[in-house]
Amino acid sequence: MPDRREALKIMGAIGTTCAFPFASNELYGQHVHPPPGASAVYGPPRFFTAEEMATVSRIADLIIPPTETPGATQAGVPAYIDYVVDSNEEWRKLYRDGIAWLHGERFDAMPETDQAALLERYIDRPGDELPVRFFRALKSMTADGFYTSEAGLVQDLGYKGNTVMASFPSCEIPEH
Amino acid sequence: MLPKTYDVVIVGSGAAGGTLAAHLARRGVDVALVEGGPKVNTHTDFNTHAMPFEFPSRHIPTMKPGKSGFDSERARGVGGKTMLWNAVAWRYSERDFRGKDHDGAGENWPIHYRDLAPYYERIEREVGVCGNLDHLEDLPDGIFLPPVPMKCSDLLVKRGAAKLGVKVIHVRKATLSRPSASRPACHFCGNCMAGCDVAAKYNSADVHIVPAMKAGYKLDVFSNAVVREVAVSTENRVTGVRYLNRETKAEGEVHGRTVVVSCACAQSVALLLMSKSRIYPNGLGNSSGELGRNFIPHFTGGIQFFLSEMIGKPTTNDEGFLDHAYIPSFMHNRKRDYARSFGVQFGYNNRRSVGWARSMPGFGKTYKDSVRAHYPAFVVFSPYGEMLPNKGSYIDLDYEKTDEFGLPQARRHVTYMENDRKLYADMIRWSVEILKSSGAEILSGTDDKPATNHELGGCRMGDNPKRSVLNAFCQSHDVPNLYVVDGSVFAGASEKNPTHTIMALAARTADHISDRLKKGEM
Repeated sequence: MPDRREALKIMGAIGTTCAFPFASNELYGQHVHPPPGASAVYGPPRFFTAEEMATVSRIADLIIPPTETPGATQAGVPAYIDYVVDSNEEWRKLYRDGIAWLHGERFDAMPETDQAALLERYIDRPGDELPVRFFRALKSMTADGFYTSEAGLVQDLGYKGNTVMASFPSCEIPEH
Repeated sequence: MLPKTYDVVIVGSGAAGGTLAAHLARRGVDVALVEGGPKVNTHTDFNTHAMPFEFPSRHIPTMKPGKSGFDSERARGVGGKTMLWNAVAWRYSERDFRGKDHDGAGENWPIHYRDLAPYYERIEREVGVCGNLDHLEDLPDGIFLPPVPMKCSDLLVKRGAAKLGVKVIHVRKATLSRPSASRPACHFCGNCMAGCDVAAKYNSADVHIVPAMKAGYKLDVFSNAVVREVAVSTENRVTGVRYLNRETKAEGEVHGRTVVVSCACAQSVALLLMSKSRIYPNGLGNSSGELGRNFIPHFTGGIQFFLSEMIGKPTTNDEGFLDHAYIPSFMHNRKRDYARSFGVQFGYNNRRSVGWARSMPGFGKTYKDSVRAHYPAFVVFSPYGEMLPNKGSYIDLDYEKTDEFGLPQARRHVTYMENDRKLYADMIRWSVEILKSSGAEILSGTDDKPATNHELGGCRMGDNPKRSVLNAFCQSHDVPNLYVVDGSVFAGASEKNPTHTIMALAARTADHISDRLKKGEM
C-alpha cells in the first residue's frame, strides 16, 4: 500500500489538493428525486414600458390563448420575453420598432378579429420587412417561453418525465 | 524537499485519462492525474433534475449555484466529458480499423480489431455495458448486461426500416441495466447528459479514479491545474508538465518519467502545439509536421419529425435513458458511389425541450392544440457519417484569441470533400426513406448543412513516422516517453461513437506503459 501521508505532504508542498468529497457508495441506493424548484420570478419589466408590455401580452395571448390550460400571459411569457429582449441590442431595436409600428396601426384599439387578421397577414411569412421579422421573433419567443414554463410544459403538454422508474416499460405495437 | 517524480503523469481525467490512471495504478504504477477543472461531486454538484422554468433564461446551467466546473473547454472537471456524455458504447469493427483495405480511401489504423478486442472486453466487464447480441459483421458483440426495452417510437421506426431491409437494434450504453456491487441500475429519469447523479451511467471519476484512490493505489489527482506545456529535456525525453492554477493562475509543475496527454482531441493537439522547444519548434513530437492534420470529426445531421401513429396519443413518460435504439451501418456492403458508411442514432432528445414548437405553423387555439397533439410523437434522427482525412481539415492554434489563462485557443478547420458530401447526401436520403416508411411527418432538417460532433484525429497513429504522430501503441514516434490517448489518435473515424474505443486504447496503453516501466525502459 502506498504511503498516503507522504503523498499528501508532497502535494501540500506543491499547492494542490486531491481530497475527494464523494459520498460513499452506500448512498447510491437511497436516491430520491427532489421535486422541481419554483418557477423563476422576474419582477417588474426591465425594458418594455407598461404600454409595450400590454401590447406584447395581447399578441402572446393571440398566439397561445387561454383554453382549458393557461394562456401565454397567465404562464408569464411576457415577462420572459422582456427578460430576453433586454439582453440583446438587436432585439431591443426590433421590438421597439415593431411595437411602434403596431401602435401606428392602432393595434390596441382593434377588435379581436382584426387583431387576428393582422397576425394572419404577417406570421410565418418569409421576408425581412419589419412586421414579418417582428412577428417571427415574437412567435418564437412566445413558444419558447410558454413551453418552458410550468403551465406550458407540465399543465398543457403533460410532461411526465424526470422520475424514478424501477424498469422501463416495453411497448406493444401492431406488426403492420 | 525534492519534488517527487511520478512514474506517469496523465493530462486530462476523462474517458482516456481516467481509465489510464486506474489501470496503471492497479498495476502498481505511481500516477499523477492532472486535470484543468475542479473536482466535482456527481451526486450534489450538477443540475441533474432541474427544470427550465426554474431559470429566468430557461437555460438549465450545468452546475448548481456556487459549484464550478465545466465552464471552459480547457478546464472542465475531474471526470471530463464522461460526466455529460450519452454513454453510447460500440466496439469498432475490423472494417473500421482497416478502412483503406476495405474501400481504398483514407487511412488504415496500425492495429487490427484483434489487438483491441481483449481490451474492449475488459472495459465492458469493469464499467458495465448494456446491449443485445446482434451477431452483426460490422458491429462486434461484447460482454453485455441485458438490453433496455425499446420505446414505442423505436418500434415504429424498426417496423418502417425493416420494410427497406434495414435493421434497428438495441442501443449499447455504458449504463447499468442491472445494479453492480457499487452502483445502482439506471432508473430512467432522462437526465443522462446533465450529470447522472447516481453514476448508473459510467463516468471516469466515480468508476475509475475514485475507487482506485480509495483502494489505496498510488494515484494523486491534481485538480484545477491547467497544463500549458509538456516539458522536454535536451536528451529528447519529456520530464513532466507545467500548469497554471485555474483560480489563482499560480504556476506549478508535476514531474514524471512518462507523460500521457489525454485532454480530448483538439485540446491534446493544442497542448502539444503549444509545447514548443528548441528540438521541436513546431510543437512537441511534431517532426513529421502531421500534428493537427487529419482532423476527422464525425459529421451529422438532425432531422426533426413526428411519428403519425403517435400524434394525438396521451403523453407518457418515455424519456428513458434517452436513445434506446440504433441503426447500425448498412451501406458498407451495398453498391454506393462513396467510401465508408454511416449509422443513425435517434431519439436522444428528452421531453423537456420543446424548441420545435416555434417551427409549427399558425397561431391561436389550433396552434396550441397542434403542439400538444404532436408532443408525444416528436423524435430526432441523427445520422452520423465518417469523414475522410483531407488537407483542409485540421486543428491549429489561434494566438490572436487567447483564453483567461493567456493560452492560445484550439482552432478547428473543417472542409468537406466530394466523398463527404456524397456520404452526407446519401445518409440524409436514406434517413428520409426510413422515416417515410415509418409513417413520419418530417418537420425540418433535410436541407441542413452537416454539423460536426465527436472530434477525432489530429494526432493520428500510424506505422509511417512521416505520415503519423504516434505508433501502434499511442507512443510518440519522436519522443519515446510521450504518449497521447484520446480521440485525436484515431487514424479512421468510423461512423460509430468513439468513446468505447478510446477507453479500450487507454487500457491497452496502460498495459504497454506498465510493461515498459517494469522492464526499466523509461
